[in-house]
Amino acid sequence: MTQQIKWGYAVNQWKAGFTSFARLEEIARALKVTAACGFSAVELCAGSGRWDPIGRPENIDINFGSPEHFRLKLRDWGITRVASTFFDPTLMSFEELHFGLSSTQPAEHARIVAQAKIHATMLAQLGGEFLVVRPFPSFWKEGALNAERMAAAADCWNQVGAMTAALGLKTVLHIDALSALRTAAEIEQLLALCDKDTVGLAFDTAELTIAGHDVVALYRRFHQRVLHFHFKDALATDTLGEYRLPNAERALIAAGGEREIPRWFGEMGTGMVDFPALLAAMRELGYAGWIIIESDKGPEPIATGMMLNSWYKQNVLDPLAR
Amino acid sequence: MTAPAPKLRWAYMDHWRIDTPQGQLSQYTSVKRFDVFLKQISAIGYEAIETFDFHLGPLRELFGSLENARAFMQERGIDKVLSLFHAVMYDERQSAPHLRHTHDHIFNYAQHIMRSSQGLGVENFIVMPAGLYYDVEPVTDDKIKACAELWSRVGKMTLEYGVKTCCHHEFFCGIRSAEELRKFYEYSDPRYVFFYCDTAQHVIAGVDPVDLYLKLQDRCGGFHMKDTLDVDLTGDYRRKPDAEVMAPTTPRWFHEMGVEGGLVDFPALLKAMKECGYEGWVGVEHDKADIGGGNYPESTALSAWYIQHVLKKIYA
Repeated sequence: MTQQIKWGYAVNQWKAGFTSFARLEEIARALKVTAACGFSAVELCAGSGRWDPIGRPENIDINFGSPEHFRLKLRDWGITRVASTFFDPTLMSFEELHFGLSSTQPAEHARIVAQAKIHATMLAQLGGEFLVVRPFPSFWKEGALNAERMAAAADCWNQVGAMTAALGLKTVLHIDALSALRTAAEIEQLLALCDKDTVGLAFDTAELTIAGHDVVALYRRFHQRVLHFHFKDALATDTLGEYRLPNAERALIAAGGEREIPRWFGEMGTGMVDFPALLAAMRELGYAGWIIIESDKGPEPIATGMMLNSWYKQNVLDPLAR
Repeated sequence: MTAPAPKLRWAYMDHWRIDTPQGQLSQYTSVKRFDVFLKQISAIGYEAIETFDFHLGPLRELFGSLENARAFMQERGIDKVLSLFHAVMYDERQSAPHLRHTHDHIFNYAQHIMRSSQGLGVENFIVMPAGLYYDVEPVTDDKIKACAELWSRVGKMTLEYGVKTCCHHEFFCGIRSAEELRKFYEYSDPRYVFFYCDTAQHVIAGVDPVDLYLKLQDRCGGFHMKDTLDVDLTGDYRRKPDAEVMAPTTPRWFHEMGVEGGLVDFPALLKAMKECGYEGWVGVEHDKADIGGGNYPESTALSAWYIQHVLKKIYA
């Protein structure tokens, strides 16, 4: 079964601000580092603005001519696959003229689907497989979910799922540490409302650990719907429930909350996630698909985080997968 | 069917400094930092490190013995300390190879390093064979002969420890031009004195490293592969006090292999190595990679990319 696991690396950590990962030579260097670390596939990150050359189809066209030429350029750098794209509709978009959209608001669904289609279309042209989406706003913005808003969100992602299916892709829902959707029971409710043929789960080990979940047990519960993984370690859990804080993205994730946690995310093997146990469960349950490793919000130099994750994969996880 | 063993193995000449809450430090300041360093270079295909002899003390202090240090390295995929770079502060009072009255001191220091480095698997003792150019000039045949005498004597001694003495010619070294190099290797004993080909240093000095390698292939003990964007056209090699980090014309002399505009012809060098049947270790180096905002891990990974995607297709 494990021969069917495919490894890739997310590119999100390189884009720390307007000035990084903007020049084409920076992108070339970053992807060469990725390839040198043994990863020939990547997950792109949907972006906004002219300073994000590989986060928007129109910028791909400007900078590379076409998605086909972009693929050829990636191949030159040692990247032979684009596995997936991460899309968060709650972030503002200059191109789509909004300051954040919510899946729990039916009036905003059409705009979410339209924006998702732009990225899904490019992903399909690049040969990708999964549109990874942030399905809910943060808890501090949305509050606790009720049945009506849960149903609204499920309707939104079913529409996106149908749209991606028409392009040959699947939609996977990525539950993060700040999400309005918190509990396993809520995940179960959501999945029951979503079309199992077109919408699955993207399972992020660190985000779910920070949110207080036992990721091995959670995966065993929902494995039939898990179609995609993000592997990164969690260095702490949100024991004080600070996901409720106003502006939790800054107050909790960036500033560390009351405990001033210096880093929430770490390289595999340095934190609380039991990757060998998770991989064993994945093998046992026959997981076949992508594992995208992330260096989300790691310290400089970014190459260090990638190289350490590569070492852990080669020396700890690969032997377990044989 | 098993793949044939590679003819080349890649080592990393270590100049790293890392950012810590206490500022920029060496990774030899803690076991954890050293662990992280080793894992990074191992992950991208390097199998040995080259380092400076002044790191012997910290390694012994961190691990209790050099044997323990090597075992720790091997657990992370790094086989050995391939080379020790001999960190000599060239000084006419005690350490100037072109001055014979300093030879005993240099020899005794080298012997001390040999005695105190057992257990790491060291194969090469790398030296700059003459002092800084401005200390040596005018470079005469007799001064070159004095250097050759010293390193022949040192090289005979280090071989008794199983270690080759290898001469590494920085662009500001007293022996730097093609003619000076020719004479030095003619005067020195080929049994005891080996050549270490630092690609960028030779290019900066106006010497073609491929041509030099072909001429000295029988005495080549190894390589430091790095690139440069500049040839020294203004005599920076003579500038006091330090041509390498203070030259007004060129803030950063050294770059990783594969850099845009790099002047070293690495494919030609690998072809030459293949034709000559070179087998063994190849060192990669990025001294001063952090100048101008660069960093060591990224440069190291970019060089690994170049090895994997360009050089191994020529000669592996």
